[in-house]
Amino acid sequence: MSENSANGISRFVVELGVAALTGAFGVAVCYGSLDIGAGWTDMGPDAGYFPFYIGLLIVFGSLVNIAQAFLKHRGTGEIFIDGGRAKVVASFLLPLIAFGAISAWLGLYVGTALYIAATMFFQGRYKWWIALPAGLGVSLVFFVVFEIGFQVPLLKGPVEAWFGIY
Amino acid sequence: MENIGLLIDGFGHILSWNHILLMMVGVTLGILVGVLPGLGAPNGVSLLLPLTFSMDPISAIILLSCMYWGALFGGSTTSILFNIPGEPSSVATTFDGYPMAKAGQASRALTLAFVSAGLGALAGVVMITLLSGWVANFALKFSSPEYFAVYFLAFASFISMGAQSPFKTLVSMMLGFALASVGMDTISGNLRLTFDIPELIKGVSFLIAVMGLFGIGELLLTTEEGLRFEGIKARVKLAEIGRTLIEIPRYWLTIVRSTIIGIWMGITPAGPTAASFMSYGVARRSARDKSMFGKGDPRGVVAPETADHSAGTSALLPMLALGVPGSATAAVMMGGLMIWGLTPGPMLFTDRPDFVWGLIASMYLGNVVAVFLVIATVPLYASILRVPFSIIGPIIVAVIFSGAYQVANSISDIFLVISFGLLGYVFKKLDYPLAPLVLAMVLGDKAEDAFRQSMLMSGGSLSIFWSNGLVSGLMTLGLVLLLSPVAFWLVGTLRKRRHDVASHGDGNAAA
Repeated sequence: MSENSANGISRFVVELGVAALTGAFGVAVCYGSLDIGAGWTDMGPDAGYFPFYIGLLIVFGSLVNIAQAFLKHRGTGEIFIDGGRAKVVASFLLPLIAFGAISAWLGLYVGTALYIAATMFFQGRYKWWIALPAGLGVSLVFFVVFEIGFQVPLLKGPVEAWFGIY
Repeated sequence: MENIGLLIDGFGHILSWNHILLMMVGVTLGILVGVLPGLGAPNGVSLLLPLTFSMDPISAIILLSCMYWGALFGGSTTSILFNIPGEPSSVATTFDGYPMAKAGQASRALTLAFVSAGLGALAGVVMITLLSGWVANFALKFSSPEYFAVYFLAFASFISMGAQSPFKTLVSMMLGFALASVGMDTISGNLRLTFDIPELIKGVSFLIAVMGLFGIGELLLTTEEGLRFEGIKARVKLAEIGRTLIEIPRYWLTIVRSTIIGIWMGITPAGPTAASFMSYGVARRSARDKSMFGKGDPRGVVAPETADHSAGTSALLPMLALGVPGSATAAVMMGGLMIWGLTPGPMLFTDRPDFVWGLIASMYLGNVVAVFLVIATVPLYASILRVPFSIIGPIIVAVIFSGAYQVANSISDIFLVISFGLLGYVFKKLDYPLAPLVLAMVLGDKAEDAFRQSMLMSGGSLSIFWSNGLVSGLMTLGLVLLLSPVAFWLVGTLRKRRHDVASHGDGNAAA
């Protein structure tokens, strides 16, 4: 997507894209339902019977939404998001994805500490000696609340293992 | 009255220090999620739900429902002090609440909001106390076709009453149904719609969807808009609270009217947001002196708040008695009930009267606790909002991720939350409603079971939905609702055409 263009993406294009996406999802649901059988068996309706019609309704709704996009949003000049705002959203979204990826690898406690420290340091422009303890502090609070308070463990990784915490 | 006796038993079940403490914790957490942007009632309840898996159901529901009340109150606080609705349902409160606060009447506006909200909520609970037994008895006559008809009615009313395009509502809702059917089929045991991805076998939890759609999605929107809190210093003065309490009876008509609107919109799945807007509109239209509306008219605070809370409370009646939740948050709580091993619906009243009446009793007590707690803690929460978003935002994200992991101890759910967050962000910007998606995800399996069992009973003929007076009445009402947008559109175009002709005839166009 050309998110860096000066004018940004028009709402019309996004409306079309989303409707096409939901439509494709509907087709996938129909296909998946037919795959497992959307008909009638000795035991009554088959497993795909209900989802098949759901899929059809999604396709139907998406088609109408495409038509309405042409009627309502074409040539109105409405902007979905412009370059500057896209950058702001990306600056929130990308660390989020990195947080997920790091947590999958090192566990949620380490991920949380790093994520909070990094966002405070890079985006909040705090000094590192404020950001790092803050990240560790939040992580520690989580540990006390979840692990000890409610006894629902979070994902732990190799770092906790070094300290002998399981 | 039988219900009163049951209610007293209910109070017997919940009156212990342990439960009162849980109430206070619930309300406090609720106010917090209501105040913080990006966290709302549905999201807060979803985050707390995994922590209640090991609790006994009565304590768990007290915690969750009190969080709901707290969140409703918290949403109004930010509306009035910061002009930022913490909850979608408190948007209407900003119209007059913020101008009042700006004019130096913050305490008055807050007190008006909290007390009228409390009154609205109490009216909702009284309604539940009186009607729930009757509705449940009525619902005992239901079998599968009637149940499907009730679900159909609920979803049809979403399509017809929603503010958004009916087709966007349809797509959003059907996506919810499709997502609900991913994984193991409850009747045949077959796997469906998993497309051979092992992570999908356990299905897609509605909790993950709520956390992504309402949590991450909301945060993305907040970041994009570059949130700035320009709050008004709030110091709640006792004298002013007293003075405001004395003036409340003056608004009795507004309160009564808004309560009725709220209860009706809460029982039907229109929900608190629609109720508060409608109530504000009615109050404004019926006022003799409209000049102060939008500039700080107290009625503009009382009306939406009363309706918001009475709708929020009433939304629990159809959830308990029929198993059809009236709002997104009620849907999440109903999902919780099913996880704790309870089946919402009329049988719950005979199987677990202690649970049902304990919950109803806790609603009386919880709302009273909430009014006092919220008045006492306003300055505290107002100061939380002065913490920069670059700290609050990431902490909320971390809380959501932890909650998402705890739903099923699965790391793939975290990526699912991010995807739902993106979906929620785009849907919100394009005016796709999110509540129907959540509702469909919670009710999906039940609606499908009801439909398939009806089909089994009739051998595949749809005529079973018109086989007796009750079911055909429900289905017809549903169809009428479903087709009403078409009718309105037709009437609208016809009138416009006639209007055009008329104005051409006159020679001067009346706006």
